[in-house]
Amino acid sequence: MRTFLRRLRKTNKIAYFSFWILVLLYLSAVFADLISPYPYDLQHRDYPLCPPTFLHFFDKEGKFHIRPFVYNMKLVNPSLNTYEIDYSKIYHIKFFVKGPKRKILGIIPSERYLFGVEDGGKIFLFGTDMHGRDIFSRILYGARISLSIGIVGVSISFLLGLLIGGISGYFGGKIDTFLMRVVEIIMMFPSFYLMLALRAVFPTNLSSVQVYLLIVVILSLIGWASLARIIRGMVLSLKEEEYILAAKSLGLSTPRIIIRHLIPNTFSYTITALTLSIPGYIIGESALSLLGLGIQEPYPSWGNMLSVTIGNLRILTTAPWMLIPGFFIFLTIISFNFLGDALRDILDPRKW
Amino acid sequence: MGLLEIKNLRVCFDTIEGELEVLRGINLNIKKGEIVGLVGESGCGKTLTALSIIRLLPKTAFIKSGEIYLEGTELVKLSKREMENIRGKKIGMIFQEPSSYLNPLYTAGNQVEEAIKEDLPKIEKRKRVFEIFEEVGLNRSDYFKYPHQLSGGMQQRVMISMALINRPVLLLADEPTTALDVTTEAQIINLLRKLIEKYMLSVLFITHDISLAKSFADRIAVMYAGQIVEIGDSKEIFEDPLHPYTKGLVMCLPERYKRGERIRTIGGNVADFKNLPNGCAFHPRCPLKRKICEIEDPEEKRIGNRIVRCHEY
Amino acid sequence: MKRYILRRLIHLVPLLFGMTFISFIIIHIAPGDPLTKLKMNPEVSPETIELMKKTFGLDKPVIVQYFYWLKNILTFNLGESFTYHVPVSSLIKQRLVNTISLSIFSIFLTWIISIPLGVYAGLRDKRWQEKLLSFIAYIGISLPSFFIAMLLVFFAAKTMVLPIGGTRSLFSENLSIFARFMDYMRHLLLPGLSLTLAGIGSLYRLTKNNFLESFNSPYVVTAYAKGLPEHKILFKHVLRNAINPLITIFGYELSGILSGAALVEVITNWPGMGRLILEAVLSQDIYLVMASLLISGILLILGNLFADIMIAFADPRVRLR
Repeated sequence: MRTFLRRLRKTNKIAYFSFWILVLLYLSAVFADLISPYPYDLQHRDYPLCPPTFLHFFDKEGKFHIRPFVYNMKLVNPSLNTYEIDYSKIYHIKFFVKGPKRKILGIIPSERYLFGVEDGGKIFLFGTDMHGRDIFSRILYGARISLSIGIVGVSISFLLGLLIGGISGYFGGKIDTFLMRVVEIIMMFPSFYLMLALRAVFPTNLSSVQVYLLIVVILSLIGWASLARIIRGMVLSLKEEEYILAAKSLGLSTPRIIIRHLIPNTFSYTITALTLSIPGYIIGESALSLLGLGIQEPYPSWGNMLSVTIGNLRILTTAPWMLIPGFFIFLTIISFNFLGDALRDILDPRKW
Repeated sequence: MGLLEIKNLRVCFDTIEGELEVLRGINLNIKKGEIVGLVGESGCGKTLTALSIIRLLPKTAFIKSGEIYLEGTELVKLSKREMENIRGKKIGMIFQEPSSYLNPLYTAGNQVEEAIKEDLPKIEKRKRVFEIFEEVGLNRSDYFKYPHQLSGGMQQRVMISMALINRPVLLLADEPTTALDVTTEAQIINLLRKLIEKYMLSVLFITHDISLAKSFADRIAVMYAGQIVEIGDSKEIFEDPLHPYTKGLVMCLPERYKRGERIRTIGGNVADFKNLPNGCAFHPRCPLKRKICEIEDPEEKRIGNRIVRCHEY
Repeated sequence: MKRYILRRLIHLVPLLFGMTFISFIIIHIAPGDPLTKLKMNPEVSPETIELMKKTFGLDKPVIVQYFYWLKNILTFNLGESFTYHVPVSSLIKQRLVNTISLSIFSIFLTWIISIPLGVYAGLRDKRWQEKLLSFIAYIGISLPSFFIAMLLVFFAAKTMVLPIGGTRSLFSENLSIFARFMDYMRHLLLPGLSLTLAGIGSLYRLTKNNFLESFNSPYVVTAYAKGLPEHKILFKHVLRNAINPLITIFGYELSGILSGAALVEVITNWPGMGRLILEAVLSQDIYLVMASLLISGILLILGNLFADIMIAFADPRVRLR
């Protein structure tokens, strides 16, 4: 792992950077309970669609505060959704503030939050949504869904694709033709339509856990087809490679051949293909949630946080910070892309 | 004045570490109607020499100094447009792997036809193509075939047609038969002989196969590490090689040995341009090495009708 | 050539059957009977339910139902939509036209912009122009199409420059045919631009790479050695060969375009097939969902067939096996 990181850093600075961004994002997702200043469903009734609050170091008189602070916002015009900064009171940042009870990582009950502001103050780093919920906190919790679906979905697809592609490529003949026909048929449907159709099969009001599993399953079913084809291709070409012939002539048994020879050689290509296909899953989940068919309220996912902006021009124009989840989706995708491209260059077996 | 005269040609590559000299003072003359074989190990600069003449060096390479005279005209100083006119018209070139060097999307006839430099009506051009096809042993129907539909030998004949359709005076052949099987190779060589004689072509024939060079070329130039170390009449060079490298090459041929004898090879590795030794580039591998060989790069010396670059002489 | 097309068409038949089969199967994976939602809806009369039962043969065994489904598809009898109360086939027709025009528009724009840019970048490879363009393209590839659409909608709403949603402005029936066409085009701009921007990045990259590969090919050296003028070499040899793989990609692009178009349609409120299937899903109109799925699949197959034929035209190695 260390050599890998060193190599990555030398060959492609941007990819190295991206790797750490992804680590940061995933860690934030895991420790969302700890980091976020508010629970994801806490509604601040007086602050619907509040703009982001900034951290200041200098107050109106020019005095420097070591501890950054915020000003509160006052809702001036509810119908036009305009806010005004209330300079009258200063609320400093505090660490380990007290707040509503919740369980960190689902196990440890705690009332303490990593950071917050003094009593009465509100810190909305990314503003609030129409129910007055802190977007920053929701982004952190939403990361759990959006980021994990990529990994889980890819893993399932990979196993499926490996199994079917491997069988198809290795045994050839009628099995191969049949399986590849099935793959072809699945790939003949545009992914969006297939995704929706599969979703339609189930009722719209499932519990969040069920929806999560459902989405993962759907995305995997769509995704395995192309992976299976790739794997089959690799198996086919490797089958003909001379060293397999050599191994066979030495009398090695079939499973041995598969494990010892085929898999390590497909490894580099597979890892790259997987990394580069994760963004597809993230987009898939975001799209479903965006359309209201994915993760349901109140639990946030980056996709469903964006769904309010569709068709609702008022919200979109007066509260553009609602688009921030989209930026995070973009950030995640571009990081995976950079990383995947760099992986492809590094893991090229010819360069070893 | 010969047809082609190369004087002290130096060609460099632009690398991250600076300029890397790969052709280090090439002197070569070809008379009218003469076939000169250029032999040497892979990477010694044979192809680059040809590319320098026709001025198609890779993007990162450039001619540092030297002159190339073709029929009296100095080529290095010519403008892009002027060089464009020379290519195809005065100089023709054929390459090693005809399947890669032919465009897969156009018919053979189309590619030969577009090489015609004279401004003629289409019918005339087509006629010319048919004529030259007949000369090289292709059918009329091959005009309409695509490269992938032709065999290796036929593809090479197409290349030859392309190169010779404007009756150039100089033909550069870069290992034209290396990718072909032995029978086809023989056919192509015979074809080339026929055409060379018919059109009084001067040829620079690049190969790594010395026996082929001996039977095909009038004179042979031996190259090592970007320099020509020996030039002379092919038969004479074979019977009496002067330069130690030439000696080694000639001794590598299995036909010189009786059954059971060990073939003598040249020790050491091919010269690495990035780490050339001081003095003579061949000295690490040379059995006749002396003190001076490590210090001074030998000059070209004339011995009879041979030119050698070695401190022995 | 004709044999090639024939072979492709024959290959399609089992594929089409497979598709109808799969879309049929999906209906029956659903828990409960496909008409459950319908039955629960107070607005729907028992007669309608009876009609649906008969049309789809729901009281018969599954295999027979499949043939009912097949027959219905072939006779374009897809029932009536619950929300709009018009025959599904006419709905689909309308929406299909809109999706197709959106797709063609954006494909056209994407290609017109990406290919010259890709070639230009190939010519200026490793220089600052190429690096800048490639960087922008990379961002384009990583931005999800729906997000691009959202951003465009945001700008359009703020600046009031383009109409958002729908294909027509109010009172457009009173305008001349030309004016109505222009009105349609104006409405097409927002979704069209979103799709285009989403697609430019990858096509640019492909073009650039293919161009460079072609440019560095041996047959280009041959062209130079023949003394051909530079512009001829570029067009006849380099470009022509670079475009070929793009034509192959074009076929697979189609799948992406149809999916991307669907999402964009929803976000920009463009009434196309994508919007249709979404509405069908939300109203649990299972048969409409399946019909939309099938149609979208057929569209894709036709697109691929078209691309295959084009590739055969363009590449002699394909058509003269």
